[in-house]
Amino acid sequence: MLEYAQFVLAPQIVTGLALGVAVILVALGLTIIFGLLDVINMSHGEFYALGAFIALALGQVGLPFWLLLVAVPVLILPIGYAVERGLIQRVFHSEDRHVTTLLLTFGFGLVLEDALRLTFGPNPFKPETPIRGTIEILGTYLPLYRLFMIVVGGLIIAGTALVVYRTRLGAMVRAAAFDRNMAASLGVPVERVYAGAFAFGVALAGLAGVLLAPIYSVFPTMGRDFILMAFTVIIVGGMGSIGGAVIAGLFLTQVQAIASLYISPVWTDPIVFAIMVLMLMVRPQGLRGRLGHA
Amino acid sequence: MLELRDIHVHYGTSHIVQGLSLSAAAGQVIGIFGRNGVGKTTLLKTIAGWLQPTSGSILLHGTPIHELSTHRIARLGVGFVPEDRRIFPDLSVEENLALGFLQVPGRKAAQNRAALADVYARFPRLAERRSQPGMTLSGGEQQMLAMARVMIGDARLLLIDEPSEGLAPMIVADLYAIIRAMKAEGRTILLVEQNVANALEVSDRFVAIERGQIIYAGSAASEGDRSQLLDAIAV
Repeated sequence: MLEYAQFVLAPQIVTGLALGVAVILVALGLTIIFGLLDVINMSHGEFYALGAFIALALGQVGLPFWLLLVAVPVLILPIGYAVERGLIQRVFHSEDRHVTTLLLTFGFGLVLEDALRLTFGPNPFKPETPIRGTIEILGTYLPLYRLFMIVVGGLIIAGTALVVYRTRLGAMVRAAAFDRNMAASLGVPVERVYAGAFAFGVALAGLAGVLLAPIYSVFPTMGRDFILMAFTVIIVGGMGSIGGAVIAGLFLTQVQAIASLYISPVWTDPIVFAIMVLMLMVRPQGLRGRLGHA
Repeated sequence: MLELRDIHVHYGTSHIVQGLSLSAAAGQVIGIFGRNGVGKTTLLKTIAGWLQPTSGSILLHGTPIHELSTHRIARLGVGFVPEDRRIFPDLSVEENLALGFLQVPGRKAAQNRAALADVYARFPRLAERRSQPGMTLSGGEQQMLAMARVMIGDARLLLIDEPSEGLAPMIVADLYAIIRAMKAEGRTILLVEQNVANALEVSDRFVAIERGQIIYAGSAASEGDRSQLLDAIAV
């Protein structure tokens, strides 16, 4: 029994946790963008893929992995800022902006995906794992890179929550999320806050792409599958809730890990999506409240 | 200080403000009266930049502000205390107040701290509740916070919409003491109020609005003008 826990269950839980942290990074950006702008960013998965491809390209010219963790989000920030100011803000005040922004970001995602296909080709790349080997903890051998992902991802998630809930910048973001007019009347530059939050959100997705590239292959449509999981997380956690995204991300990826072990890997997705449907039926607002709302 | 020239505002196809002109000198309090739905709140929202006038111009110290974004108008010293207070429920009292610092972007941290201390001295209840989320405050405390938030940003033109609505008479008396203090500091105030008697006590001038137009204007000090005002708005 102990051996089973050490050699089967514990590594599976760690794998689920590492995936959970990556999913939360993607979902966090998605939920901040929704909570603040009321925009469902359908191109979020493509920003995740963009992060992985930029890391791949920069890695090939010799940039070390550690530097990529900083360089890739920094490179994606201005792209995200420009997309928000140049595309989303243009239709933000239209009457049917929910549909318009959804279609607009969907279209932009398709453009991004095709641009990646034309630039890098349709075939998958498999970057090398930057940290090889395992570490023994209480008799259990755990992959070092996955532990690294958990620590780095955990720090970024905690840092994001700290900024949003404990700084003046975060207060501006929460105020703008709750009431854009009142926030602006107190001097908050709401349009810039929106663009900054969008840029930050997609940069987090790009960072998740860097972290997951060594585990999964890098290919132009890689964002599609992953984004479904991120959407599930924010629906279960509550659209626009940071705390909800963290709880739901950890819960659902553990469900996947355990279901894969005890039922079958092919059943993991149907089970997770069934939880989402169930949540929509019994508690459509999700586990937690929206950003800036009590 | 403030001049509105032939302002028209539409909500979709509804013509809410229909060619309204008004001016306010520095330090003046102007009471704005009228029945519900005549365009008083729309007028304040338009000056604050929440709504765009379809035509006409709004000048602050001679500079047109009607095409500026809301946060730029706020940074020119226009503070808005809306009817429903619009306190951020998830933010603490102090976080709500600190947002007001953004109205004066160049101000130093020490000056902000001094402004905060000054506000806490004026509103001891807010000082006691500085760490509490905005949603836990009573209606009166929320109104105090909404006022304090614009005072901390040193707004020189205050747009105050229905400050006494839903509040107990004792709280209303406190609120009007604050409005009088703000007037004494030389701030210009446009005061929309259903409680005509209270508002007239602090006002220098007043206007009565009907269907988006000024139908009567007078001096708050004149008994005759006051009496005509009550007739005009049928109180």
